[in-house]
Amino acid sequence: MRCQGEVAEPVAVGPADHVCWVYDDAESLADVAGSFLAGGLARGERLLYVGDDEGIDLLRRRPGPLGAVDDLVADGTLTLLPLAGAYEGAGAFSPERQLAFYDAATRGAVDGGSRGLRVVAELTGLAADPDQRRELVRWEHLADGFMAGGSGMSALCAYRRGAVDPDVLRDVATVHPQLGVPDGVHADELAPFRVFVDGDRLAVAGSVDAFGAERLRALLTTSPADGDAVATLDVSGLTFFDAAGCRALAAWAQDRASCGRRPELVGATPLFARVWRLLGYDRIARATLRRSPA
Amino acid sequence: MTAAGTGVAPLPAFVHETLPYRGDDEFLTGVLGFVREGLARDEAVLLVEPTRRLAQLRAALAEDAGRVEFLDMTDVGANPGRIVAAWAAALDRAARTGRTLRGVGEPAHPDRSAAELVECELHEHLLNAAFGAGGGPAWRLLCPYDVQGLPPAVSARALVTHPYRTGPDGPLPSPDHAPRTPAELLGGALPPPASEGVLRGEFGSGDVPAVRRTVASYARTCGLTDEQVAALELSASELATNSIRHGAGRGTLAMWTEPGAAVVEFSDAGRLTDPLVGRRPPPTRQVGGRGVYLVHQLCDLVQVRSTPRGTTVRVTTWR
Repeated sequence: MRCQGEVAEPVAVGPADHVCWVYDDAESLADVAGSFLAGGLARGERLLYVGDDEGIDLLRRRPGPLGAVDDLVADGTLTLLPLAGAYEGAGAFSPERQLAFYDAATRGAVDGGSRGLRVVAELTGLAADPDQRRELVRWEHLADGFMAGGSGMSALCAYRRGAVDPDVLRDVATVHPQLGVPDGVHADELAPFRVFVDGDRLAVAGSVDAFGAERLRALLTTSPADGDAVATLDVSGLTFFDAAGCRALAAWAQDRASCGRRPELVGATPLFARVWRLLGYDRIARATLRRSPA
Repeated sequence: MTAAGTGVAPLPAFVHETLPYRGDDEFLTGVLGFVREGLARDEAVLLVEPTRRLAQLRAALAEDAGRVEFLDMTDVGANPGRIVAAWAAALDRAARTGRTLRGVGEPAHPDRSAAELVECELHEHLLNAAFGAGGGPAWRLLCPYDVQGLPPAVSARALVTHPYRTGPDGPLPSPDHAPRTPAELLGGALPPPASEGVLRGEFGSGDVPAVRRTVASYARTCGLTDEQVAALELSASELATNSIRHGAGRGTLAMWTEPGAAVVEFSDAGRLTDPLVGRRPPPTRQVGGRGVYLVHQLCDLVQVRSTPRGTTVRVTTWR
């Protein structure tokens, strides 16, 4: 399974990392960005930092394990891109245009002999813009599918807590498999559950109760990463669910079934499988038990 | 309902009768007669009895046992709040094969605790509400009562909860039968906690995750199994959510232990009107109404009470 859950230190560990990093001060973000990019450097990846001028300046001054930023820029390993260049240069923000940009950048990295592209993107500006945040959530989800699909891209998406509406922050955090939060903040309170792509399946992790079920339903049934072919939902990362949460998953399964697919839930706990059956949802989709730990 | 002058009382679609018995012989004679009559009519026969009685019936039925369905009351009906759903499911199965259902169910048996026997009595009343209201399929349900093993008051009240009692040639109206109104069915009092160490807390909107964590952690300290803890955590979440949505946005949680049991109780200012809440499987398309159903299905004993003063749901887990 893809690496998922709360992360304390975003050291690059895998080829498809997708971390939502919520932070309070710019210095701490520069340190985290330096570590994350240095992990990619060690893996032989090309690096891209997208952020505002202040962030770029801080990374130059606090590169940490990344080392001399200007040398990396000079030999083409690291690109520093002002936010406007990456997200607004081509006109209005569009997930499809973003995907084309990152697809080309990742291909360029791989064609140039790198193992992939590792990105740190400071996206507070987009999240704080009421006109762009809806598309931002869609983009994050689309990007997650791109990363999960073996493209070679991985990313840490940073959002400054005080500058983003909590509902928006929750929505963007929800579509990342990994989440990092400032000290004193509970990841579960910021985003109780997460939905992400894992190989050829969709995965839901965390805690889904009556108060988040409608949001989950909407996210699952409109998921741009959930192409017609995806009919498997991995529930092994669920730490809590209730009847309303199951109903949201059943709505996804019903939607898949009406597209002519045979939906299936995998990784269920015995309690989940029992509740699923009690509620009659096994008539819509089978729920298979997770393998017991070896 | 007696047809005056003819001496024959027309039976309603759902005939709910009690068979008071003394000893194994009376039990077997009464139940086997009822079962064989059903088999002779090619009815779908389902026996829901405690483990020991199932073994006796299986042996006595001999080769006819293969034409009868057996369910263990100590499993499907461990919580009496689950039994209505079991009969509803049996009716569905019978309807799919175009047969009439004939059931034998012994919810109140001598191994039950006092609190369970209270719920068994309520359950017997609720069977009348669930299947006797008219419009449903015709079927018969015979409930044996072990008058030697049960407290005398429990056996006596079987004649109050059942509209019929088994007579020598079929069901006879029970003169003691007294139907209850929905308010009466929901309005019974629960005994105060049999413990001095009651933990109590208020909760409101936004507290549901904390409530379920609190209950799960308490359940662990009571020595419940992981499976019981997970079921109780889910149940606590459903009941706290109900309090917030239907109980004026807030509620009270109380937790205590009794000999052999851990008890979790939710109270709020809301009022229930349907005494059958959570006892029948909710239709797949229905939006709400699944919470209490799940709690009944997952927990050992669930006691729901509601009056104009508010609603209380007490969940007992045997340990």
